[in-house]
Amino acid sequence: MLQVKELQKVYPNGTHALRGVDFEVAKGEFLVIIGLSGSGKSTLLRCLNRLHDSSSGSIQFEETEVTKLKGRPLRNYRSTIGMIFQHFNLVPRKSVMTNVLTGALARTGIFKSIFGMYSEEDKKRALEYIKIVGLEGRENHRADNLSGGQQQRVAIARALMQNPKVLLADEPVASLDPATSHSVMQYLKKVNEELGVTIICNLHFLSLVRQYASRVIALKDGLKIYEGEPLDIDEEWFRTIYGEEAVEVTIN
Amino acid sequence: MNTTPQALKMPEQPIRLKNAKKFFWAILLDIFLWSYSILVTYKIVYQRLILDLRFPEFAWSQPIYSLAIGAAVALVLLLTSKLSIGKAITGLYNLDENETVMNQPFAYFGYLVLVLTFIAGFFVSQVSVYEFLSSSGLGGAKRIFLALLDPNWGIFEDALFAAIETIYMAFIATTVSLPLAFLFGFLAARNLMDSSPILFSVYSTVRFFLNLTRSIEPLVWAIIFSVWVGIGPFAGMLALCLHTVSSLAKLYSEQIENIDDGPIEAITATGAHPFQVIWYGVVPQIVLPYLSFTIYRWDINVRMATIIGLVGGGGIGTLLMQYQGLAKWNEVGMLVIMIAFIVWMMDYASSKIRAAIK
Repeated sequence: MLQVKELQKVYPNGTHALRGVDFEVAKGEFLVIIGLSGSGKSTLLRCLNRLHDSSSGSIQFEETEVTKLKGRPLRNYRSTIGMIFQHFNLVPRKSVMTNVLTGALARTGIFKSIFGMYSEEDKKRALEYIKIVGLEGRENHRADNLSGGQQQRVAIARALMQNPKVLLADEPVASLDPATSHSVMQYLKKVNEELGVTIICNLHFLSLVRQYASRVIALKDGLKIYEGEPLDIDEEWFRTIYGEEAVEVTIN
Repeated sequence: MNTTPQALKMPEQPIRLKNAKKFFWAILLDIFLWSYSILVTYKIVYQRLILDLRFPEFAWSQPIYSLAIGAAVALVLLLTSKLSIGKAITGLYNLDENETVMNQPFAYFGYLVLVLTFIAGFFVSQVSVYEFLSSSGLGGAKRIFLALLDPNWGIFEDALFAAIETIYMAFIATTVSLPLAFLFGFLAARNLMDSSPILFSVYSTVRFFLNLTRSIEPLVWAIIFSVWVGIGPFAGMLALCLHTVSSLAKLYSEQIENIDDGPIEAITATGAHPFQVIWYGVVPQIVLPYLSFTIYRWDINVRMATIIGLVGGGGIGTLLMQYQGLAKWNEVGMLVIMIAFIVWMMDYASSKIRAAIK
């Protein structure tokens, strides 16, 4: 459903973050991208939903060329791609409910959304998703007062609110403790298996990768250096991806 | 994969260009500093201090010769020694990090300029211990201070009403300025405006006019407006408004530039319209700082309104001016107490409120 070809990204300061990356994603996959910090993982995800514009190459999503989109069509495309972030990126000082409802902004008029006039159906669905991520009864709590794991679950609910076909996750558990990390990954797995949402996820911990991924891509210095099954990453590949002196750290 | 894109080679040339630009400014600064030092040495140290002339003659040849000599000295020293302050400031010296800046040769030139300026300052501001301690002067000061300590409570009502006028004037000036400052705050925020050349030119224009209006003191604006709309609170209010819009817009835009990009990214990723991104990604992060700035500005405006009153902007300042002109020091004493009280009150209230909403 998603084809990336020869994708390059050069930032205005000269950093060559992606040097020609090719891969495909099939519907229903749980694709994990691994690599060191600065290997281009975050840039790649942000190019996929056009938070950053790629410099060259193509991204095709269900026959649409994504890199050429502008204005309304671009916003429509973005609304079919959910995204969650390492630092959750919730709207501060606002309630859980308001935050989840922002997932419905693309289909709500500007005027209506400014006054918080979302459709009844959207409000009902927001409550449903809050329940799915296990935060029932907290819809009126301030989002920035919740714990890290809870905030990430709010972010998942917000992304689900978009009715996404694909969910991008940029190091979703990097600022969480091990137990909470697993809980958040479980929710992503649930979203992937029960709602059929394709997931593309950046991760650091190989133990998590082996447990949750259906396929793995490894990036190094803006190039794809590995693609395959998570269980096929052995000692040698690990050293190639993470450098000679790396020692694997597990998370249980 | 091994093809190097052009963007990678780009940074080299701007660096050389930048150095040429730095060098240019370094020369200008050095020429100015040396000419200034020579001129001050001649006019103050030589003519006033050594020759003890009371009114040394001025001729345009003096600054021109100083400039010529200064330029020559600056150029020679710039190229041959480590005495150039210009090079130090523009970062053209490769300084040894183990040595402190204070001990560098150029620092000594800096001390020289500082000492010369201090000496010149004494002469220019006509510091005179004799005048300060003369018996007639002390007598006058004593009369005024005694009168100030014995305020005329008979004009308490007038003073109170004038003070209320000042506070309201400041409040209206603040609230009327708010919507404009709010709008300009967004237009002057670089992080929202650098995405396209059109937006960036709007940003530059708005920044320019904000800086221009802000760099002219409200006191001067009050003089302009009192000619325009006549002496009174309205002129004072207009002056305050103008200055408030530009100051608040500056503070607001800086606040916007400092916000967390995360929520903006997240809201953009949902497919929201740019207006929705601002409303949900930017506004919740700035509401409280804005409120805090605005209350602080009201506090400042009360003080400014008092000063502006001195040039006919109405309120307690105008009243003070009138009594001072009539040398009615007891009445002035009353007004000074009133001003001190409202300034203290506004200061206290605004700091308490700002602490509460942080």
